[in-house]
Amino acid sequence: MKMPSFLRSTAATLTFALIAGSAGAVANLDQPAPAFSAASAAGGTISLEQYRGKTVVLEWTNHDCPFVKKHYESGNIPSLQKEATGKGIVWLQVISSAPGKQGYVDGATAQKLNAERGATPTGTVLDPEGKLGRLYEAVTTPHIYIVNPDGKLVYKGGIDSIASNKKDDIAKADNYVKAALGDLAAGRKITQANTQPYGCTVKYAS
Amino acid sequence: MMRWPAVKTVSPNFVRQVAALAGLLLAGMALAAALPPHEVTTPHVKAELVASVGAVVPGSEILLGVRQQIIPHWHTYWRNPGDSGTSTRIDWTLPAGATAGDIEWPAPARITLGPVSNYGYEGEVTLFSRVRVPADLPVGGRFVARATVNWLVCEEECVPEEVELGLSLPVVASTAATGNGSPAIARAQARLPQPLPGKSWLQREADGALRLVLEGREWLAIPDGEVWFYPEQWGRLQQSAAQTLERQGERLTLRLPAGSNALADGAALPGVLVVKDKAGAEVKAYHLAPRLQTAANAEGELGVAAAMLLALLGGIVLNLMPCVFPVLSIKALSLLRHADYSPLQKRLQGLAYTGGVLLSFAGLGLGLILLKAGGQAIGWGFQYQSPVFVLIVAYLMFGVGLNLSGLFSIGSGAVGIGSSLADRAGYSGSFFTGVLATIVATPCTAPFMGAAIGYALSQSAPALLAIFLSLGLGLALPYLLLSAWPRLQSLLPRPGLWMERLKEALAFPMYAAAVWLVWVLAQQAGPNAVLVALGGMLLIALAGWLHGVTRHSVGWRRHGGVGFALLALGLAIVGGSFGVDALALGKPASPAATSAEKPWQPYSAAQLGELRRAGKPVFLNMTAAWCISCLVNERVALSDAGVLAAFKDAGVTYLKGDWTNQDPEISRLLDQFGRSGVPLYVYYPPGSDSQPIVLPQLLTPDIVRSHLSSRPSLSSSLTSKESS
Repeated sequence: MKMPSFLRSTAATLTFALIAGSAGAVANLDQPAPAFSAASAAGGTISLEQYRGKTVVLEWTNHDCPFVKKHYESGNIPSLQKEATGKGIVWLQVISSAPGKQGYVDGATAQKLNAERGATPTGTVLDPEGKLGRLYEAVTTPHIYIVNPDGKLVYKGGIDSIASNKKDDIAKADNYVKAALGDLAAGRKITQANTQPYGCTVKYAS
Repeated sequence: MMRWPAVKTVSPNFVRQVAALAGLLLAGMALAAALPPHEVTTPHVKAELVASVGAVVPGSEILLGVRQQIIPHWHTYWRNPGDSGTSTRIDWTLPAGATAGDIEWPAPARITLGPVSNYGYEGEVTLFSRVRVPADLPVGGRFVARATVNWLVCEEECVPEEVELGLSLPVVASTAATGNGSPAIARAQARLPQPLPGKSWLQREADGALRLVLEGREWLAIPDGEVWFYPEQWGRLQQSAAQTLERQGERLTLRLPAGSNALADGAALPGVLVVKDKAGAEVKAYHLAPRLQTAANAEGELGVAAAMLLALLGGIVLNLMPCVFPVLSIKALSLLRHADYSPLQKRLQGLAYTGGVLLSFAGLGLGLILLKAGGQAIGWGFQYQSPVFVLIVAYLMFGVGLNLSGLFSIGSGAVGIGSSLADRAGYSGSFFTGVLATIVATPCTAPFMGAAIGYALSQSAPALLAIFLSLGLGLALPYLLLSAWPRLQSLLPRPGLWMERLKEALAFPMYAAAVWLVWVLAQQAGPNAVLVALGGMLLIALAGWLHGVTRHSVGWRRHGGVGFALLALGLAIVGGSFGVDALALGKPASPAATSAEKPWQPYSAAQLGELRRAGKPVFLNMTAAWCISCLVNERVALSDAGVLAAFKDAGVTYLKGDWTNQDPEISRLLDQFGRSGVPLYVYYPPGSDSQPIVLPQLLTPDIVRSHLSSRPSLSSSLTSKESS
């Protein structure tokens, strides 16, 4: 089953605007993921629509958040990104920190940070107004969403099962994202599709 | 020219002394360094390790906690941190044999930032755990506790902090010398949520929102202000959405918008209800675990009437239990024997028996009410947690067995529970048979009764009594009907020699019950208790025989016989009681050391918490040596090679809690699941936020296996682990 055509055309006509306000656009599991189009750290825009046909991972991030640091400094998220993009999966970071708040960066800084951290996402979405974050109801960094090739939201939640800021816990935890991507690749239903995200609060503009 | 003689003649001895002194000093410093400070101040939090006592007594329970004083506007987190954040974690390092329970969390506050809401604490909070001090700790030594404490402290930005705290308390012999603990612990205890008075349940509305209904007098008097429900589980509610309150007299309803992880029908949602006045000051905090009702049982949790009916049925089923059945059969036989009695006399017999049963149940119920009022964590079968009680019941079974075997019979004197079992028509005999039936029935908790009694314990005193009396009525009912209904009596076979043979045969189940009870006693008070118990039985047999052979003598022989018999009996009971009591006290508390080869590990709340945090699957078995259905389940299902292999394959940790003796940690766990007695079987699927599944009270290998394999998440999470 493909996405209803009216939704597709809506998405197409609003290529350059975030359609946060459109009816029914909420991030519910097994429903079409809310469409968006927003500024890319590399310049230009990134839209969900342009990746139709591919699996898309959305990762809310804030480079100064201790929980994000846990997963970057340990190499956990960079290696997940590398593994995923190597298999043709699209991995998008989203930065929803408001200007003046922790984690807010411009595009160039975002790219520089990734280079320093050995992070290789497909792209980085800049969301300083927090529209995309509020649309998806992202509350923590990290907070992960996975959209399947049909454009349906199939996973939302944490990166793994142990809510801590300790790097030692990564090896002991169930990595939900890895498991979900594995299930998707094997054509299985994702067993843990809705998990508890943990981390810092997304620093939205208040 | 003078020299300083001292310089020249420094003796090697002196050097050695100095070196020794320096060594001592260094060692002392090293010791001090090994014990972290009891207070550490980070940029955001002053953390202090505090105790409820100034000194500990071996074998006692104390409270150890971490007091956090947080700088203004910053907060740390509750057990459910809400949308983001992480709860504070305390890892204890305690002397061998000491165990710490889970953190007991004071009521939280709500901290909202834009679309994100968190549950936590501002200002000051003390998070404490119950800690059991090992019984074998030498008096005069020190009890050294260390805690590694991790927390996330946030204003808008978050900072994870970790500190090491230490505390060394002297070990003293008497509770009079424990001194004063930290007032912070007392303040934290005062801030703990109280059990909710009255009833509470959840309903699901059409849009998925949950409606929390609270009923009770309490709600007539609450101030205008805010009532907020804090769920302990993630994802059940939208943390940031408003909770709308409606008041209707004694009923309060709170509408709770549902979160992304819907609560299953019939599942409970534990949480804390905080009532605040208009000024925003906390008035009350309650702990509750309302259950989401399905359409079928819309208004009722288990109502009192339903519980009474269940109890009645359970009571009837008790008649078939191996220890009760002989007692009842004997009673029925005596009806046959006394065919010459008038129907009225027979009915009175039935009523006397029923009275005995009902009074015993009323006594048990009152005992429970009193213990509950005293704040004890108790449950069904609690009386069997006393070794003395077990011993006396074992003696009783043995004595009744001897009586049935015909070793002696007791005259129509006043003595004698169960004395008139077979022969006597006295109403007191019937009455005490009822008492006896109650005593022997309690350990055979029929599957029906777990729910009814668990419910009874959560109710007011009159409801509890009503349920207990229903149970008693159920137990008494078959005999009552038989005695009241001549038609039924005519269905019984004709009297004859077979009755004598049957009576003798029925002695053997009584002996078997005594054998089992002695085994229970061995679990409670160690192998020496077996010697005490069997020695006592020998004396009882001697007393019975002396009485039997001298009862037809005359003069001093007869009186001497009775005297000796009574002496032997008294010695058995008094000596035995003191003996097993002393042995039970002296027995080391934890048999953990011997469990290396067993497929299970002894239950502790701390270990369960740790496994759960790591997202590991856990199977819990709460059992007691005096609980027959527990033992049957363990033999049939939980020792099954297939089941054990399935545990192993699935990486399940099998924890076993032994409630043979009183254990507040286990009582608390039972309470969490609304139970008041064993058995209780719970499976926690993998994942730190998975929902525990309660298994039925009668197990088969298939039931256990199906619960393990019905979770597809199990295999996939394991495979994903292997591949990583």
